[in-house]
Amino acid sequence: MKAVGARLPRYDGVAHVTGRTQYVDDVRVPNMLWAKALRSPVHHAGIKKLDTKKAAAIKGVQAIITWEDVPRLVYGHLEALGIPGDEPLLAKDEVRYKGQPIAFVAAEDEETAQAAVEAMQLDLEERPALFDVRKAADPDAPQIHHWGNWYPHFENEMDVRQIRKGDIDRAFDQADTIVSGVYRPAAIEHVPLEPQTALVVPEPSGRLTIYSCTQALYFSMGVVAAHLEVPLNRLKVVGGTVGGGFGGKVDTATETISALAAMKSGRPVKWRWTREEEFLCSSTRAPWHMEIADAVTKDGWILGRRMLTLHDSGAYARFSPYGLTKHSFHHTGAYTIPNLHFDGYVVFTNRVPTTAMRGFGVTSVSFATELHVSRIAEALGIDPFELRLKNANRIGDTSPNGIAYTDPSTVQTILAIADAIGHELPGDFRAMSRDARADALLPEHLVAQVGEASH
Amino acid sequence: MNLTVNGVEREVDGNGLRPLLFVLREELGITSPKAGCQQGGCGACTVLVDGEPRRSCLVPAAAVEGAAITTVEGLGTPERLAPVQAAFHEHYGSQCGFCTPGFLLATHALIERSPQANREQIEEALAGHACRCTGYVKILEAVEAAVGGAA
Repeated sequence: MKAVGARLPRYDGVAHVTGRTQYVDDVRVPNMLWAKALRSPVHHAGIKKLDTKKAAAIKGVQAIITWEDVPRLVYGHLEALGIPGDEPLLAKDEVRYKGQPIAFVAAEDEETAQAAVEAMQLDLEERPALFDVRKAADPDAPQIHHWGNWYPHFENEMDVRQIRKGDIDRAFDQADTIVSGVYRPAAIEHVPLEPQTALVVPEPSGRLTIYSCTQALYFSMGVVAAHLEVPLNRLKVVGGTVGGGFGGKVDTATETISALAAMKSGRPVKWRWTREEEFLCSSTRAPWHMEIADAVTKDGWILGRRMLTLHDSGAYARFSPYGLTKHSFHHTGAYTIPNLHFDGYVVFTNRVPTTAMRGFGVTSVSFATELHVSRIAEALGIDPFELRLKNANRIGDTSPNGIAYTDPSTVQTILAIADAIGHELPGDFRAMSRDARADALLPEHLVAQVGEASH
Repeated sequence: MNLTVNGVEREVDGNGLRPLLFVLREELGITSPKAGCQQGGCGACTVLVDGEPRRSCLVPAAAVEGAAITTVEGLGTPERLAPVQAAFHEHYGSQCGFCTPGFLLATHALIERSPQANREQIEEALAGHACRCTGYVKILEAVEAAVGGAA
């Protein structure tokens, strides 16, 4: 164990401090074109007409790409798992978020590419837009996709992620009180210092070399190959150097369109987003709408939880079903609640598509659960530390999806926090460990749910 | 037009209004200054002009003709790191690395100006530099080590 506790030098540290680390925008190749995108100026609209003739006539413009140039226009980031595709690479007859790419120009320099974008004639018919996930879930809300606003992200077009555990009705019958709350964390932009950038070089062999700042190289490779309808061996993706990602670079946002322009022009194409594009058009952490009702006893046991989650996917789902699934598996946070009834939906709005960010799907429910546990403590007049310790995950307790915990850390963490802020605890709480439940900590309502690991 | 970069006089194309950042990156192939925001907000494009930190994305090339321009390439080499580079490397002041060149140059200029800079002066010198990875604690530790080493 030479590494544990040692201060090992970063393998890339010397390159970083000498300015020699090569990010995508630092790669230079001869004869390179620069790209800009025509993006939707509005949140939701029908496209009545797109005319690129004037743009194409500008000196220095080498390729213009629209939906007609895309071999497979609509694909979904999770389509390989059987989840239906929903996102066109370039908008065809409808734009569903402000900033959605509609057309793409590769030219001798960025200024010429931008001039060509501004010379395009776009005729839109604006439609009502939705920005609040709760309102988007209403049956009479304007519909954003042909399915409506609830994404059918399971087999047989099922649209709900459900968790059922124990006997929820019995838990609510036995409860002394019900504590309810609604929690709505907002969207967050990742703000990597390095904006999204791609460079695609068409090789004489017919292959494409793709320099990418992706956080998910093989995944991006699959997405590019699917849209282009080419086998993976046509693509050489060079990645691994990311100027900050935080989840915002798991979506394949730049590589595919740049590849089409490189193929059409026969020249290398670099697409470097501006900071404005990064803020206004790149994906964000999702806003969530979470409704929780917990069945609790007056001495502080949480017997059951009913929960409804609406995950705001933005205009296109990307990885949202994955985030929602993680969310559902973690929806009791660091605590053990034996009876559960969870329904979660991926709901479309006209916001930018949302995606992973540091603890995808889990930070939202941790936020909600911690606030809710404090709310329960307040409602019952119980010390919030004691309530947390009582209901904390312990060895042998099972997660919402039935996994027995073997290495839970809630008890030690809560005790460490109490120590750090000098919070006094009664002796039996002070002496608590994460060991499997026994005696007073294995009340009747928890007997059935304690996993095999403890017995 | 001639620019003196890291002690070497280089001839560049005539557009004096082009931001120094792009003259360095696209014409001279000096890529340590980064295009983070292109509006003077993030500090990733910082270079030294006659020893003072400047946002190269906001500086027209013509404005620095005749001045001495320093980028990270001019501080030290992998074999012979400058003290600020060694301090950032040893104290983990760099994670993704994209903001690092700007922080290095701001720190270098601070130490030249105030070899005994205190914490408050360090924070003021780095105030215009954004980092999204480290949360600044490691960066401040690295800068304090660099200041201590130079004192």
